[in-house]
Amino acid sequence: MALTQAFARSGRRRSWSWETLGYKLLAWSPLIILLVAWEATTRAGLFTPFMLPSLSSVFGRIADDYASGELMLSIGTTLWRALAGFAISAVLGVALGILISQYRLVRWFFDPIISVGFPMPKIAFLPIMILWLGLFDVSKITMIAFNAIFPVVTATIAGIEGVEKQVIWSARNLGAGRQRLMWDILLPAASPQILTGLQVALPIALIVGVLTEMAMGGYGVGAVMQTASRMADSPGVFAGIIEIAIVGYVLVRLMNMARRWLLRWHPESLDATAS
Amino acid sequence: MQAPAAAQIVVDQITHMYRPAHGQPVLAIDDVSLEVRPREFLALLGPSGCGKSTLLYLMGGFLPVETGRILIDGKPVTGPGPDRGVVFQHFALFPWKTVRGNVLYGLERAGVPKEERLKRAQAYIDMVGLQGFENSYPSQLSGGMRQRTAIARTLAIDPNILLMDEPFGALDAQTRSLMQSELLAIWRRSPKTVIFVTHDVQEAVYLAERIAVMSARPGRIKSIIETNFDRSDPNLFKQPAFIEKVDEIWNLVRNEAMLAQRLAAG
Repeated sequence: MALTQAFARSGRRRSWSWETLGYKLLAWSPLIILLVAWEATTRAGLFTPFMLPSLSSVFGRIADDYASGELMLSIGTTLWRALAGFAISAVLGVALGILISQYRLVRWFFDPIISVGFPMPKIAFLPIMILWLGLFDVSKITMIAFNAIFPVVTATIAGIEGVEKQVIWSARNLGAGRQRLMWDILLPAASPQILTGLQVALPIALIVGVLTEMAMGGYGVGAVMQTASRMADSPGVFAGIIEIAIVGYVLVRLMNMARRWLLRWHPESLDATAS
Repeated sequence: MQAPAAAQIVVDQITHMYRPAHGQPVLAIDDVSLEVRPREFLALLGPSGCGKSTLLYLMGGFLPVETGRILIDGKPVTGPGPDRGVVFQHFALFPWKTVRGNVLYGLERAGVPKEERLKRAQAYIDMVGLQGFENSYPSQLSGGMRQRTAIARTLAIDPNILLMDEPFGALDAQTRSLMQSELLAIWRRSPKTVIFVTHDVQEAVYLAERIAVMSARPGRIKSIIETNFDRSDPNLFKQPAFIEKVDEIWNLVRNEAMLAQRLAAG
């Protein structure tokens, strides 16, 4: 706990110092220990290279893929699908959340669908998606959006419904009509929760993106890993794991930065810059 | 004695049920009638839960009038409007807007041209003493400064009527007494009809020209008391006449407060 707090503090500090570098190293050390253990055990011959290739050979593989352009192609393809699906789920999810919060008929229709749909493993629709939309980007992106939209919808509804009654009264008193109320008051007031929904949806988009690639092929990190696995190419599989871990981490960090900028009025951001 | 002017606000035999989402409806206000003259400063005084805020929300048009009627300048209230500015106990600011953004909002909705509205917003920010904090967000301000922002935001739309719901109830004692004299100063400069809800007897006696004392559940008007003090006197709180008046009204309220406590406990 103290460690992560120290890390969080150091992350917010603008200036560079040995102290912050030390905190960062300390915070990251479990991961570093794991990677060193990986390299050491494989060098010691505890595992066959087929079961667990050495970390250095995996990095070598990533470097080779980078040199040949394969890396950019597979990561780029996966990113494009995940982000396209995420964008669709964000726009449709917020729109649907608004409609559900405002119209009883829409709520009556979608309430049970969301109650059943949210917890269900929507990946079960994959065979049907393939039948309906084929094997290419359209079916993958649809699958991603379909999975990622649920947390966005529910967060939008919760956010809008949680807006303080007197804030709404103030706005109406100052002359805001129904439409103005939505755009000027309800959405900005709900934005912290909507952003939380989007932060949940983003990793889902990446996970489902890689899953659909594994199941359906057609480039992308998931497809490359599946092909490598079929060819007993262990370094290829582990290269994919490391690539997708880094991509996921970077995306989540970017999303956190976007949140801090968008919510710069919010106490959570103001406290961060003050300390 | 001046001739009684036509009432600006007429509350006529209002009865209101409070309907919680779960449980039995409660009679919140029982047959309340009240008339308020233009530019009068009237306090609605009573223990918590006596329906005084509900009555204010009915005047504001935030709650539907079910039984009885409320007239503003002769017309029945059908919804909120910028003729009645409201100040809430917990400020109800827009936290994603700066102080200036908050004060500008009502002027934007009223379609005031940009230069004019910037000028007017600045004038009201200066009036409540927030110059230098125009670009601060509410979460960066103290409670007193937040309430000043809310008052500036409400005054900026230049309402004829000011509805204030325990506006200083969330502030510390020093800030509260400072804000009370500032409110009086503002009211003297631009007289408006003020309905001021409070449970603080001294506050009511200090601020209001007339005090409507309400009884506990169901809310009824128990008596209406005129006060006539020189509010510019800094030692008013020490004047025997003032202390006597506070005492007199406190005696009226005490039984109701005790009753309200019993109701809350039981």
